[in-house]
Amino acid sequence: MTDTSVIVGVGMHKFGRFGDKPAAEIGRDAVHVALADAGVSWRDIEAAYLSTMYLPATSGARILRSLGATGIPICDVEAACASGGVALRQAILALQSGAHELVLVLGVEKMPKGFMDPLMLYERWQVEMGMSTNPSYWAMRARRHMHEFGTTEKHIAKVAYKNHRNSVYNPYAMYRKQFSLDEILDSKLVCDPIRLLEICAPNEGAAAVVLATERKARQLTSKPVRVAACVHTLALYSSDFRVPAESMSATYVNPGPTEVTAQKAFQASSISPEEIDCFEVQDTDAFCELEIYEQLGLCPLGEAGRLIDEGVTEPSGRHPVNTSGGLICKGEPVGASHLGQIAEIVWQLRGQAESRQIPKAKVGLAHVLGAGGNCAVTILKTLQ
Amino acid sequence: MIGQEPRRLPVKDGLLTVPLSPLEQVRLVGSKCPACREVTLGTISNCPNCAGSGLKPIPLANKGTLWTYTVIRNRPPGDFRGPEPFVPFGEGLVELPDGIRVLSPLGGDVEKLAIGMEMSFEAHKLYQNPDGVDVIAFRFVPSRGTNQ
Repeated sequence: MTDTSVIVGVGMHKFGRFGDKPAAEIGRDAVHVALADAGVSWRDIEAAYLSTMYLPATSGARILRSLGATGIPICDVEAACASGGVALRQAILALQSGAHELVLVLGVEKMPKGFMDPLMLYERWQVEMGMSTNPSYWAMRARRHMHEFGTTEKHIAKVAYKNHRNSVYNPYAMYRKQFSLDEILDSKLVCDPIRLLEICAPNEGAAAVVLATERKARQLTSKPVRVAACVHTLALYSSDFRVPAESMSATYVNPGPTEVTAQKAFQASSISPEEIDCFEVQDTDAFCELEIYEQLGLCPLGEAGRLIDEGVTEPSGRHPVNTSGGLICKGEPVGASHLGQIAEIVWQLRGQAESRQIPKAKVGLAHVLGAGGNCAVTILKTLQ
Repeated sequence: MIGQEPRRLPVKDGLLTVPLSPLEQVRLVGSKCPACREVTLGTISNCPNCAGSGLKPIPLANKGTLWTYTVIRNRPPGDFRGPEPFVPFGEGLVELPDGIRVLSPLGGDVEKLAIGMEMSFEAHKLYQNPDGVDVIAFRFVPSRGTNQ
């Protein structure tokens, strides 16, 4: 890295359902908050990137140009659940190249209710044969993990319990209700062994991030947060059978996308998982979070159940995960999701996370993973 | 229809061996890479493992073991062609001796599925299209005498 990229402002529009409120308004609300947080105006922004999967073409221009047609380059970026990480990376590359000194990344989504349109992710024959239920892939991974390592339905439910409880303190989350372990274990099976209170829902929302070069950032903020790494990779051959549905090799073992992406991020930042104070990760379902503990290196393969039992990932534990309530409680407005994680970590590192605050948090990691094997990991660190 | 072959099409080109009659003799098709020997489902031209070319279509084994599974409890989204009203069914990865785990709907009692059980391939009519052609799909079912 030749130059340091620094986050100087973040803003969120709550994740949830907002009736007829247009996506553009939801997005602009987040932009206004982020610009105010950075202490800059729209006229100061030199380039902007929109992260979205469901909005139509040139939505970035349509949403942002109405703030003032300043003529700056604005483009849309899409990489499924990892869209926000990819947009962020484009912004960082622009800063590092010397092309710009102050840029904006916005994630916005207004998704239809219920399941995502399967033909966006699957071939027609897979839909016709009934292989288009997204949670089924997570469920099959969970079932295999239980078989190999003795992970239990209770371990999975404990993740959901933790995230639902954390969400009570997050005003930006869609669901903010605590559930007992029994209520979670009694909720309807969606795809065995995954239950209704253990999965995330698509929804609406926005998050915006203002980034600057270090030189510019020093003029703007007294609490700069450095981007220590921002990595995007696609799943290696036969390493992950997340959507779209794929048969797999029975002879070839490749590390999964989370493991590969996280390793690259750890190397780029010279930060190890042990040094990270707070994590926001892709809990598309509660089992995913368990698997991510292992893939990020928080515990050896097969020991995620023990980690949740020992409370390591609780807000009071050594490595708090999803203090925001995670996607299970925030919902997943796909394009905004990673940038929402970034906002949460920036607040944690600045000491502004209110009742969710992790004491003395200095380093945080955000992780997303989704369709096409798209994975992004961003590591943030307070800048001394 | 006596004396007349039923008109049949595969649910996806290159996925099933031909002819599609009799159904009992139909197999899945895989593509084997001459360079890295990996087998991929369906008829494809480039190897997703090594990017090699010249892949050869091969018929896949009709028996395997269940590697993992789930139960689809609600009607899948989109143009699902299974029975109406909807009946919960299994979905899983079936490991074949060809070195591939095939993602497939599973027949049989969903409450009796278990990792490691032997599964048999079955081609079946999924639906009839508007031209009166039977569309043929596949599933794996627990082998007879296996824990059923």
